[in-house]
Amino acid sequence: MANKKALGKLKGREAMVLAIIVAMIVLFSILSPTFRTYPTLVSVLDNSYYITLMALGVTFPLITGGVDLSIGTGLVSYALIGGFLIFQKGMPVGVAIAVCIGFGILIGIFNGVLVAIMDLPPFLATLCTCMITRGLGPALCGGFGVSWPSSISADGGFRKIFKFVTAEGTVIPIGIVFMIILVAIMSFVLDHTRVGRYTIAIGSNKEATRLAGVNIKFYHVLAYVISGLFAGMAGVAYAATYATIYPGAGAGFELDAIGGAIVGGVSASGGVGTILGSFLGVIVICLMKVGLPFIGLQANWQQIFTGIVLIAAVLVDVLKKKKD
Amino acid sequence: MGEVILTMKGIDKSFPGVHALDHVDLEVRKGEVLALMGENGAGKSTLMKVLTGIYKKDSGTITYEGKEVEFKNTREAQDAGIVIVHQELNMLGHLTVAQNLFIGREFKKGIRIDDKKMNEEAKKLFDRLNVHIDPTETMSNLTVGKQQMCEIAKAVSFDAKVIIFDEPSAALTESEIEEMFKIIRDLKKKDIAMVYISHRMDEIKVITDRVTVMRDGTYVGTLITEKCTKEDIINMMVGRVIYEDPKTESAVPKDAPVVLKVEHLNAGRMVQDVSFELRKGEILGFSGLMGAGRTETARALFGADPKESGDIYINGQKVTINNPQDAVNCGIGYLSEDRKRYGIVVQKTIAENTTMASMKDFMNGIFINKKKEVEVADQYVEALATKTPGVDELVVNLSGGNQQKVVIAKWLTRNSDILIFDEPTRGIDVGAKNEIYKLMNKLVAEGKSIIMISSEMTEILRMSDRIVVMCEGKKTGELDISEAKQETIMNLATREIE
Amino acid sequence: MKVEKIKQNAFVKKVGFNRIVLIFVLLLMYLAFGALTGGSFFGFSRIMNTLNYVYFLGFLSLGVTFVIATGGIDFSIGPVMFCCSLVSGYCLTTYGVPMAPSLIMSILIGVLFGVFNGYLVAYWKVPPFIVSMASMNIAKGIAAVFTKTQSVSWPQSTTDDGWYRNFINMNGIPVGLFIFLGISVICAIVLNKTKWGRYILCLGSNEEAVRLSGVNVKKWKMLAYIICGTLVGVASIFFVAAYTTVQPGYGDQYNNEAIAGCVMGGTSMAGGLASISGTVIGVFIISLLQQGILALGFTKEYQYIITGLIVIAAVYSDVSARRRKN
Repeated sequence: MANKKALGKLKGREAMVLAIIVAMIVLFSILSPTFRTYPTLVSVLDNSYYITLMALGVTFPLITGGVDLSIGTGLVSYALIGGFLIFQKGMPVGVAIAVCIGFGILIGIFNGVLVAIMDLPPFLATLCTCMITRGLGPALCGGFGVSWPSSISADGGFRKIFKFVTAEGTVIPIGIVFMIILVAIMSFVLDHTRVGRYTIAIGSNKEATRLAGVNIKFYHVLAYVISGLFAGMAGVAYAATYATIYPGAGAGFELDAIGGAIVGGVSASGGVGTILGSFLGVIVICLMKVGLPFIGLQANWQQIFTGIVLIAAVLVDVLKKKKD
Repeated sequence: MGEVILTMKGIDKSFPGVHALDHVDLEVRKGEVLALMGENGAGKSTLMKVLTGIYKKDSGTITYEGKEVEFKNTREAQDAGIVIVHQELNMLGHLTVAQNLFIGREFKKGIRIDDKKMNEEAKKLFDRLNVHIDPTETMSNLTVGKQQMCEIAKAVSFDAKVIIFDEPSAALTESEIEEMFKIIRDLKKKDIAMVYISHRMDEIKVITDRVTVMRDGTYVGTLITEKCTKEDIINMMVGRVIYEDPKTESAVPKDAPVVLKVEHLNAGRMVQDVSFELRKGEILGFSGLMGAGRTETARALFGADPKESGDIYINGQKVTINNPQDAVNCGIGYLSEDRKRYGIVVQKTIAENTTMASMKDFMNGIFINKKKEVEVADQYVEALATKTPGVDELVVNLSGGNQQKVVIAKWLTRNSDILIFDEPTRGIDVGAKNEIYKLMNKLVAEGKSIIMISSEMTEILRMSDRIVVMCEGKKTGELDISEAKQETIMNLATREIE
Repeated sequence: MKVEKIKQNAFVKKVGFNRIVLIFVLLLMYLAFGALTGGSFFGFSRIMNTLNYVYFLGFLSLGVTFVIATGGIDFSIGPVMFCCSLVSGYCLTTYGVPMAPSLIMSILIGVLFGVFNGYLVAYWKVPPFIVSMASMNIAKGIAAVFTKTQSVSWPQSTTDDGWYRNFINMNGIPVGLFIFLGISVICAIVLNKTKWGRYILCLGSNEEAVRLSGVNVKKWKMLAYIICGTLVGVASIFFVAAYTTVQPGYGDQYNNEAIAGCVMGGTSMAGGLASISGTVIGVFIISLLQQGILALGFTKEYQYIITGLIVIAAVYSDVSARRRKN
């Protein structure tokens, strides 16, 4: 493997997150006997798809030392537009999926230009885009909630990517396989292609990378395009796993994704992070989301906990840096 | 030694207010190691920056491999085969050694980066140079020495024909220096020309073939290493006629009380067991070359950086200084090297900067007594002859010398008795320089005590009552002004511990 | 060199000119909307609606001005404001806590968040945007948990407790306006004439220089966030006084609008340069814009888009102005 020692260190982080996952499962199972059931597992996974996709994408801007706050409202917006096309314009689901992802890429390019070329602070630029996408979806679609075709309808086939219901009624969450494939692909991109390599380089020392002759503007923009692309895919996943999409939802989704990434080892200051880590971090967040109600804490506690977990994860990094 | 591969002739370069290079010549031959020596500010770095295209020369010619060249940027120079190994390493800490070596020119198999091949090539490169570094190690985990060797290896991998080493051994251990010398000898055999910028006499003697000396932006001369002595080199480095009268004897009585005593100060590699005393009414000069650790010592003393150990006594009393607040409350003021970044608040006026360290004296209940601020600032503008249309002027609009006066006014307003001036006249024109000197003398006459860190030999000799010399984190010597000579100081500053 | 000078330094000149431009823009907008709506925009109720928006947004903007002056950012202000009014409102309506203590609780919750944010940023050096993100969601979560995800309605003006509405409007007199302008003046005084403000602005401009002058920069940085939190608490009172009902889960749009008002008014994202008067005018512009968009029949989605673009434009002009100076 290319990066032996670093892998060792990050593997340590990933192992730790895995341990946390196991610990959480054990804890929840003890505190609530109904937790360890198949439906729960399906529920956890169902909830995880769109967050995982967001996290896989946002890992790239984070590694460059920036952030993309527009992914949450973005994915809802793109899903709205897609659903609108299906129902108001009678387009086939395939087109809706393409448009959904296409919009994600477009906004990603917009973000990339703002941050990499116009030199705006990433959090502010993407905060603005977050606002813009919040308005864009409803503005284009008339402000109503929308549903993508249900699984029983003719067009509902796309939902099968995520959840396959057999004739006898057993639910197989095969979406997880899809996720694992994506994790493998994006890990490859980050570790073994120039895109990933230069993304890390930019986060590590932008100037040195520039002096080495790398076209940093291009790769910096690309990081945000990847984030946008995955936000688009997350929109599709969201539409596939939930019945109705309401405009105005989405604010706060990015916390789950970014929080997951940081728990998984991505550093807020850039240069550090793995796809696998982000994925595992998201599982932690989703476990919390689903598990808290089982121990009597309603869903909104999850927001509080996720916020605290995010701060704790960053503090751990700050303390570790101090020690070095 | 081989034929000449690089000639620089009559190189001239000026910046606003500074004539950095004045008709400088340089000649480098294949397979030789040419030492480039001179004090801080002699122009060595500037010359190399002109060569590699970071600066554009005003006049003169550069001839490389028989053709006249002018590189527009480091990439062009690199592609032609001229590479600098920098003092401040330009590395990507989060990537591995091999990834750093080949950044921007990775080996690919389709879209997949062939890290395996990169590791192999890196290993081959290191083997050729007899270096023992694991290519899969993360860059930031290596010691500074090993990082440096990676930089050297990188330069070699570019098929460099001329490699410039800028203070290469500053951060290396003895054994690492030996390894580096082996690499250099190897490169010599391959006919690669090298320029070795360093102040370490013993190394120069061991590894170089010739020595070129610069002084105050001019070319002084070139000697053959084995035919000259250290004294010869030092004479060339400092052999200037000093027009301003150097101080001949200390202005401080022998029985003056000790206002500041520092014992066994330790703060990392740059401050190792430093102890010294400062007496009342004295100007204590801190001399040494860049990287000697003088600023780091001052900052550790001032509480600006954390220290590992050390005792500080003010007027005989032990004090605890853990942060700048403590130091300021003890009556110490610090004027940092980098005025713009650490000395003044650029968006604010002269009056506001003057009172920055003494706000509690300018309060009217909860409001700032702006009238008093203006009055006091006015007084100092007049006393220090600061050139400004008014104290409402933003400090960023003032010239360097006048900005410095505002910083001085800040500490005078605070009534600090012990002042640490770090390069007090850097970037200041001659007229203003003299005013600052007059000021400093006036301050000590009034009973204040000054530590003056300076890299300018004339300044040290003109102003100091006593001189402390540092080299690479250690105090190497202490002299009374009456016995101080340029050569002695330079000896102490270049690692010759007597 | 005697100094009997007019206070004509570069900063005042810059912001002074800016303010004139902004007021001009404001008037122009007002007339434009009036024209586009065929005159109906000039009605009394329209003015009242705009003012209602100005009050709470204004306090949010004033608060975030202090934070941006230190070179930081806080985009948890909207959700925190909602948390304040939801939690204290719930105590008022469900636990029977009297009005006056409820109002005070509102402010205190804001202060608490300010302390939380400020402590993490100043003493632990957690990047401000992460603290904001976490705070934002913690605030939303606390509010939702506390009120069991239900909305909360504060008392009508006709009830015994309705006196709190007088903060906005007492028999037609726009009391709120006086309070807002009054507090703005206090903020301006604090920022420009007290030690607090001096330190806050200086550390935003050049933190290390201030630290090396012997000032405890951590303390003052945290203070900026606490001031912000306090003003957010005040904003929550004015929000419920105008709109009565608050729902958990909202508040995000006000973040951007508050920051927009602030940056438009001349406060620099890099820190060190801030103008209260500029913020006030900026808030009026944003409020007018919101009203205007509604009056022209567009839904609030367009408001989001336009606000987002305005902030981008304002920040970009700040960034490029700084780049030119270097």
